[in-house]
Amino acid sequence: MKHAVRKLLLASALGVALIGSASASTLVVAQNFDPQTLWPNGTTASDNLNAGSAIVEALFWVDPNGEVFKPLLATGYELESDTSVIVRLREGVSFTNGEPMNADAVIHSFNIFIDTSKTPAYARVSDPFESIEKIDDYTVRMRLKYPYPPLRLALSQMYITPPGYWNEVGLEAFGLRPIGTGPFVFESWARDDRLVMSLNADYWGEGPDGITELVWRPVPDEIARAAGLMTGEFDIAASLPVAAALEIDARPDLSMVPVPSYRIYQMILSSLEEHVSPLQDRTVRQAMNYAVDKDAIIEYLLFGYGVPLRGQVLREPQLGFNPDLEDYPFDPDRARALLAEAGYPNGFNLDFKCPSGRYAQDREVCEAVAGMLADVGVQTNMIILEPGEFLRQLRASELWPLAYVGLAPQDDPDLQVSQYHSTWRYSYIRNAELDRLIDTGRQEMDVEKRAEIYRDAMALMREEAPIIFLFGGVDFYGTSDRVANFNARGDGRFFFYGVSATR
Amino acid sequence: MLRYVARRLLLTLPVFVGILFISFLLTHLSGDPTDLILTPDTPDHVREEFRRRHGLDQPFLVQFYQFCIRALQGDFGNSLRFNQPALELVFERLGATAELALAAMFLAIAVGIPAGVVAAYRRNTPIDLGVRAVSLFGLAVPSFYLGVVLIFVFAVWLRWFPSGGRGTWMHLVLPAVVLAVDQLALIARTTRSCMLDVLNQDYVRTARSKGLGEGWVVWGHALRNAFIPVLTVIGLQFGILLGGVVVTETVFSWPGVGRLAVQAIYARDFPVVQATVFLFAVIFVIVNLIVDLLYAVLDPRIGYK
Repeated sequence: MKHAVRKLLLASALGVALIGSASASTLVVAQNFDPQTLWPNGTTASDNLNAGSAIVEALFWVDPNGEVFKPLLATGYELESDTSVIVRLREGVSFTNGEPMNADAVIHSFNIFIDTSKTPAYARVSDPFESIEKIDDYTVRMRLKYPYPPLRLALSQMYITPPGYWNEVGLEAFGLRPIGTGPFVFESWARDDRLVMSLNADYWGEGPDGITELVWRPVPDEIARAAGLMTGEFDIAASLPVAAALEIDARPDLSMVPVPSYRIYQMILSSLEEHVSPLQDRTVRQAMNYAVDKDAIIEYLLFGYGVPLRGQVLREPQLGFNPDLEDYPFDPDRARALLAEAGYPNGFNLDFKCPSGRYAQDREVCEAVAGMLADVGVQTNMIILEPGEFLRQLRASELWPLAYVGLAPQDDPDLQVSQYHSTWRYSYIRNAELDRLIDTGRQEMDVEKRAEIYRDAMALMREEAPIIFLFGGVDFYGTSDRVANFNARGDGRFFFYGVSATR
Repeated sequence: MLRYVARRLLLTLPVFVGILFISFLLTHLSGDPTDLILTPDTPDHVREEFRRRHGLDQPFLVQFYQFCIRALQGDFGNSLRFNQPALELVFERLGATAELALAAMFLAIAVGIPAGVVAAYRRNTPIDLGVRAVSLFGLAVPSFYLGVVLIFVFAVWLRWFPSGGRGTWMHLVLPAVVLAVDQLALIARTTRSCMLDVLNQDYVRTARSKGLGEGWVVWGHALRNAFIPVLTVIGLQFGILLGGVVVTETVFSWPGVGRLAVQAIYARDFPVVQATVFLFAVIFVIVNLIVDLLYAVLDPRIGYK
C-alpha cells in the first residue's frame, strides 16, 4: 500500500515536472549547410558563423538592425595613433567553464587570429595586425603594421576563446565542442542532422527572451526548407528562393523577412590589354550599359526584389556612396548609336560566360541580358559553367570578355572597390586614376575625407563602365509567428540578441 | 566453399586499386580545391601554405603514391573542409544511409515480389496491367519530383509526416517510399518475367498433378526457382542504395553518405570523395559476394569449390 502511494506521488511529481518543462521554448533554425566547425574564426561561411557565434562571441558586433557597430566583449576602442589601438574589455564576464574573459583570453585569441596557418580564412582581415600587449586585466593595446580604416570590421571578427580549454583540446576539437561567453551553450551535435544548444543561464548580457533551446537543422534543399517552415517544424528558415518567399508572405502565421544583400550583381566587361575584344573601348562598354533594361530584370525576373544600383557598386548605407550618380538609363537607340560611333554599326560577336546554380536565377538573368544585347547588335555565345569551374575561372582571371558575377566582399568600401584595382587578382580593369583613389582611400583614417575619395571613385567607375551595373541582391528569410525581432545582415549573418520567442 | 570465398576476396584487391586510381585521377583532374575552400581574397602566401599542408603542391603521381601508402593503413587523410579524418566522416553517416536503404529495400521487396508474382499468375488481366503501369510510373518519375510532391501532400498539407530530417520511424516513411518506388518497379518486373518463365515449366505441371495446393505450387516451388535473377537485382540495387542516394537524401535532409559525397564533390574535398568512393566499392563487392553465396543456398545445383 505504501509502495503504491509512493509510486503515485512520484508519478504526479514527474507529471508536474513535465508540464513545467513544457513551457520551455525550443527554437528551430533551418540553414543550408551543417557547420564545418563551430569555431567562428574557422571559416567565413555564414552558416558556420551564425551557429558558432551563438556560443563564442567577438569583441564587437554589427547589429543587422541599422548596421550599427556595437560593443560586445569589448566596451570600446581608441586610436592612440594611426597604428596603435587601445581596446577596453568588459568586466565581469566568464566563459561557461568558469575561465574569466579578460586580457589574457583576448591576447590568446588575438595571437591565434593573426596566425595564418591556424586562421587562413581571415588572413586578409588579420594582415594589418602586428602584435598585442596587455596594459591591465581589462585593457589591451594592439599594434598595426599600417593605418587600417576598416579596423571596426576586423575587431568585430575577432572571436574570443578560453585559453585553458583551447590549449587542452586543440583547434579541431574546439570546433566540434566549443566553449564561449555567448547566450547559448553547446549541448549535442548529430552531424548533418541537428545541432542542439541550450540557454546559458549565466549569460552576462541581455540574451534572447523565451528561448531555452536552440536547434540548428541543415536542410540543403531550399524547397524543403520552405516546406518545413510551413509545417511548423522550423521557426526560422534562411536562404529561401523568391517563389517560396512570396508564398510564405501570403500566409498569416508566417513572416517573410527580405534583407538587402551585400552581393552586387554585375557583368564583367574586361578592358585588359591582353583580353582583345571590342570591350576595350569605353564607348562600347557604355553602350552595353544603355542596352540592358535593369528595371525590367528586377521587376520580372526577381519579382521586384532587387536593389537598383545607382551606377555604382557601393550600396546606399555605405560610406562613399555617391548620391549624385544615376545608372545608365535603358536606351537601346543610344546604345546602337554609341556602337556605330565606336566603329561597330553592325554590332559584333562575343563570348558570354555564365554560372549555373551559383546564384539565384543566374541563368535566367544571363539569358535576359543576352537577349537585350542581341537587340542592339551584340551577339553573344553563351558558355554555361558549373559553379566549381566558375569559381576556378574567377580566381584565374579567365572570365573574359563578358561574364556574370555577383561579388560580395565584406562591408567596407575599400574591400568593395579594391576589387577593381589593377593589382587585384581578378580585376578586369587597369585604370591609373582609379588605382590612385583606391590606394589613398585605403590609408585615409579621416572618415569624411575617405567618403569623398570613394565618391570620386564611384563617379570615375560610372564613366569608365568596367561592368554592366545590374542590381543588388535580396536574401529571404522566413519566420513563424512565434519569433519576434528577427533580422539579418546582407552577408547572411543573424544573431539572437534581442530576439524573442513566444510559447 | 571457404576457398571460394577466399579466392573471391583476393580477386577484389586489383579491383580496389583500380577504383582508387581512377577516382583519384578524376577528382584531381576536376580542379584545385584551394579556391573553393579558401575565400577568393585570401593572400597568396596563405594559399601556398594551405596547398603545402595538404600535399596539393606535389606532382600527381607523388600524391597518388603517398595516398596509397596511407590508405593501406586506413588513413584517407583529413577532409579539406572539416579537418576531421575523411573515413570518420563517412562512417558517421553510414548508419543513416543503411537505415534508409534497409527500409526502402524492405518496402520494395514486401510489395514488389508479391506484385510480380500475382501479375505473372494473372497474366494479361487488369491486375497484371495495373502492376506494369504502376511499375512504369515508378521508373519514369524522377525521385526529386516525387519527393517534393510527397512533402507537400503528406507533410505540408496533411501534416501526417515530418518534412525531413532523421529521428523517429515517421521520418523514415517518406524518403523510404520515394526510394522504394524505383526499386519496387524493378523488382516487380523482374519477378514477373521470371515467374512467367517458370510457371510454364514441366515441373510446375508435375507439382500440380501431384495434388499440391496452388499456393504451395506458386509460392513454394515456382517462386523459389524464379528467384535467382530477382536476387541479383535486389543485391545490385541494395549495393547502390548503400552508396547513398544523393537526391533523396538532399530533398529530405537525410544525414547520409550520399549527401556528404555530393557536397564533397562540389567542394573538391578530395579525401572525402576518395573515402566515399572506396567505401562504396567495398560495400558493393561484399554485397555481390553475399548474393553469389545465396545462390548456392537457393539452388542446390550450384556448388562452389
